[in-house]
Amino acid sequence: MLLVAAGLALAAVPALEPPAFFESLLYLVFHWIALATSWAILSGFSGYFSFGHGAFFGAGMYTTATLAATYGVPFLWTLPAAGAVAALLGVGIGAVVFRVRRLRGELFALLTMAVTFVLATVVLNTWIDGGPGVFLSAVEVPRIVASPASTIYLLGLTVALAAVVAAWAVQRARFGRGLFAIADDEDVAEVLGVPTYRFKLVAFGVSCFLAGVTGGIHALFVIYVTVAETFSITVPLYVVLMSVLGGARHWLGPAIGATFVTLLTFAFVGGEWAVVGRAAIGLTLIAVILFLPEGIMGLTRRRERGRARGFPAIPAGATSPGAPALGIMPGSPRTMLVCRDVRKAFRGVQALAGVDLEVREGEILGLVGPNGSGKSTLINVVSGYYRPEAGRILLDGRDLARESGHRIARLGVARTYQIPRPFSRLTVLDNVALAAMFGPAVLDRAGAEREARRWLEFVGLAERAQALPSELNLHQRKFLELARALAAAPRLVLLDEVLSGLTPAEMADAVALVRRIRDRGATIVFIEHVMRAVLDLTDRAVVLNYGQVIAEGRPRDVMRQPDVVVAYLGKIHA
Amino acid sequence: MPSLTLLGQSLLSGLFIGGLYGLFGLGLSLSWGLLRLINLAHFALIFLGAYLTYHLTTTAGLDPFLALLVIAPTFFVLGVALQAAFARLGVGEFASLLVTFGLTVVIESVIQGIWTADFRRLESPYGTAALRAGPLFLPVTEVLILVAAAVLSVATWAWLRYTYVGKALRAGAEDPAIAAAFGVDHRRLALLLSGLGAAYAGVAGTFVALLYTLAPSQIYAWIGVVFAVVIIGGLGKPLGPLVAGIAIGISEAITMALTAPSWAPLVSFTLLILVLVLRPDRV
Amino acid sequence: MLEAEGLHVGYGDAPALWDVSLTVGCGELVAVVGPNGAGKTTLVNAIARLLPIRRGRLRLDQDDVTHVSAQAVCRAGVALIPEGRRLFGGMSVEENLEMGAYRADARRHRADGLERVYALFPILRERRRQLAGSLSGGQQQMVAIGRALMARPRLLLVDEPSLGLAPVVVDQVFAVIETIHRNGVAILLIEQNAARALAVATRAYVLDGGRVVSAGRPAELLARPHIREAYLGEDL
Repeated sequence: MLLVAAGLALAAVPALEPPAFFESLLYLVFHWIALATSWAILSGFSGYFSFGHGAFFGAGMYTTATLAATYGVPFLWTLPAAGAVAALLGVGIGAVVFRVRRLRGELFALLTMAVTFVLATVVLNTWIDGGPGVFLSAVEVPRIVASPASTIYLLGLTVALAAVVAAWAVQRARFGRGLFAIADDEDVAEVLGVPTYRFKLVAFGVSCFLAGVTGGIHALFVIYVTVAETFSITVPLYVVLMSVLGGARHWLGPAIGATFVTLLTFAFVGGEWAVVGRAAIGLTLIAVILFLPEGIMGLTRRRERGRARGFPAIPAGATSPGAPALGIMPGSPRTMLVCRDVRKAFRGVQALAGVDLEVREGEILGLVGPNGSGKSTLINVVSGYYRPEAGRILLDGRDLARESGHRIARLGVARTYQIPRPFSRLTVLDNVALAAMFGPAVLDRAGAEREARRWLEFVGLAERAQALPSELNLHQRKFLELARALAAAPRLVLLDEVLSGLTPAEMADAVALVRRIRDRGATIVFIEHVMRAVLDLTDRAVVLNYGQVIAEGRPRDVMRQPDVVVAYLGKIHA
Repeated sequence: MPSLTLLGQSLLSGLFIGGLYGLFGLGLSLSWGLLRLINLAHFALIFLGAYLTYHLTTTAGLDPFLALLVIAPTFFVLGVALQAAFARLGVGEFASLLVTFGLTVVIESVIQGIWTADFRRLESPYGTAALRAGPLFLPVTEVLILVAAAVLSVATWAWLRYTYVGKALRAGAEDPAIAAAFGVDHRRLALLLSGLGAAYAGVAGTFVALLYTLAPSQIYAWIGVVFAVVIIGGLGKPLGPLVAGIAIGISEAITMALTAPSWAPLVSFTLLILVLVLRPDRV
Repeated sequence: MLEAEGLHVGYGDAPALWDVSLTVGCGELVAVVGPNGAGKTTLVNAIARLLPIRRGRLRLDQDDVTHVSAQAVCRAGVALIPEGRRLFGGMSVEENLEMGAYRADARRHRADGLERVYALFPILRERRRQLAGSLSGGQQQMVAIGRALMARPRLLLVDEPSLGLAPVVVDQVFAVIETIHRNGVAILLIEQNAARALAVATRAYVLDGGRVVSAGRPAELLARPHIREAYLGEDL
């Protein structure tokens, strides 16, 4: 489409025999488009801002320089090698770093920055460079077109197009949706079925590969490769600026930012103006971070969505009865989930001290207990956010205790959060579609969106499909959570204090919805403090106190048991 | 294997550069640890201080330490202004990293605009004066740096440890809401701390001007090692950067004596990476 | 001494308290009980001015304090023992206690205050240099109480003191609360464990779903069905 046309038009430029400076300028634009877009594939999409893009660019540059100048490898062959070396480096780092939950945000940025310095030092001190730099003047430029400059121009164009196409493809695919979810809330994404570790590694690998190839081509452009120039602050700074300016979460954003900044820098080239240009770049970065965090593409997206203001309440009975079915019909009381002696401690506090309970298929099980009794911890453990220290959690015989969150989601376990955690930068529809994409059914985008619409109708949010979660009120956000939990067609739904913060009318609505969910065939574990709802809604109740089950049975019976009364009210000295 | 004298001299220079690292890192560690703001512009401020020292000394004929007395309070005010802006704009920890990144570039451009990219060397009255301890030389300037770093670090530590204001700062950094419930006005204290950090940057700048040839691009050369020093030393601990700085300085010096000077950066960055990966809870 | 009238408090667009009114007289120990999620901690935080009050009035000795800062209300003699203790974990026991006496009126009497707290909790004297974050739950609760006492308060806000503590420790904590009460300090006690709270209170309120559903003397409240309904769902 448009890209292909643009690509062909640009490819034809050398044939017009433009002045050399013009070709060089365009090459530089392509160069930066490739660098910024490749950076954004990991950092823009997944939110893991890397300050070390220069390391991978430099790795590619030096791979080509070494192979071509020192070993005489034909230039074109060095390019895939450059990409591969950079990708390996990135994946190697990612394999270690992405496992550590704490290393996100600013720590990941610092770590990647440190990597750049380490690599620069190693290159400077070993045979790769050794100090004097590497000359590529003897390297033969492949004869794709008549003039070497034009060949380099075309190579630059190719890698820029490759990067932009890659970004476009990623953004449209399930993969891209997963990365966006990781950026907003990685833990929730994992528990919805997104294989976060794997996705981050792949994004990092692709990003580094493209950066490496760009570096390889650039080696031939500059002809003289030095450590100081290659690993300077310029690359990391500029790719961040360009992507943020253009819109880091859009496939075309970095390209726009790159074009803008490169041309602007060139307008200021020479003498005093260069300094002003640099200052302007710094100021632009500050202004963009503070006032336009979504960049230029973010502006256009906002206008597209045409915001509908106001919070229309979900009218009673608006939820549609005709929604897809889940699981099997009630009536077969077989045990679905079994917890055996589950234990979990945090820094000395034993949150779960040996929990034994069963959940039967098709029932609504109430999980109650005083504050601090371990209810939320149990949900976190079953859904995979925490690993238990001991005990087994068997879902139809399969032990979940050692599984990662996304695999547990694939097995059909879904949960909601007491304080809703929607993906704040995805629309209502995308939030729900994500669950359908990564749940047990693993649907493609079109299928997932269909499912999502059906569930939004079920909860009464169909009209708000294009809204952002911040535009919804609490009641609507809770229902969004429910729709998202259900869109994965789970067998077991864990609801964490769904009713907290709702008005009595909203609560009645929510209770009706939960009933309808069960009628679709889901099995529900319902943590709640609003006792009236528990008595109304649940088939069975389990009471936790100090991390252990102290009672189990019919709700009314259980709440009458003396030790349960004492757990809640304390010993009343009459 | 280098001679004992050479080794000894290396250790000494490692010690001294460690003092400079500590001085660099003090302000950064305080603002990151106690204010949850990552102030990359700290480095640009240091060099701004260095250039100002150079300027005041060469054009106004001021003694560098007198220049310091002018620079430090001015920078204090700058620090207060920066924190006020951050608070007003609601800048979070990660955004602060990016915003100060931009600010660094702006300050660097200003420096280059005023003083050009040419190398500038301050002809210091303290020039090459050195004390002697046997075969070893102790350059006066470097000894002064170490002393200044130690004095400021210990003074800050004592201030945070023993005074009510210091305790209030520490409490407010941990739990601003509960600190407020006991009367602590964390916002005002944050302004004070930011000003102090900037003043420290000014002091570091004066010493940089005395020791080194100045060029705007030099700002970036220090970022990596000082971050390593700050993280290894423990965020918000005033003695941390000094101790970690000396440890790293000496390790680098030994590495340089045994191999080649250009290997030195590997020490700090590898340590930084190791600490981040193995002990991320330090941050 | 403390008068709350028609308070409406919320988080973002989620309301948490509706039209809540209560009073605490000088020297009284007033308890607010109710199930989890009823809004008890929200109430305490609003009174301590850690949360904005959307509608209604808060008065401390006839002064309108509805919109003053937390620091101001602290200066007026209100001290907080927060839910979950919330000590300054990176500071020592003694430093935590000293922070309690941050306000000018209390700082003057710091040394005296420390002596009194150590007399009340001898084990804290032994552990004065230890990091507060490394103490056991019960000891942390003692530090939290001591910290509030150091502020020489006229009104003490106690938020869920029994949370996460073993029953034996809870006994000790409530004994201390009673002692403080006997010394004339007015106390607003928020507590999930209704039995314990009613055993020490002069008067009490029952909070459920963000509203006051019942109020009166402990004996009266125990006779009414509201408490059991709030906690257990129905008058079973």
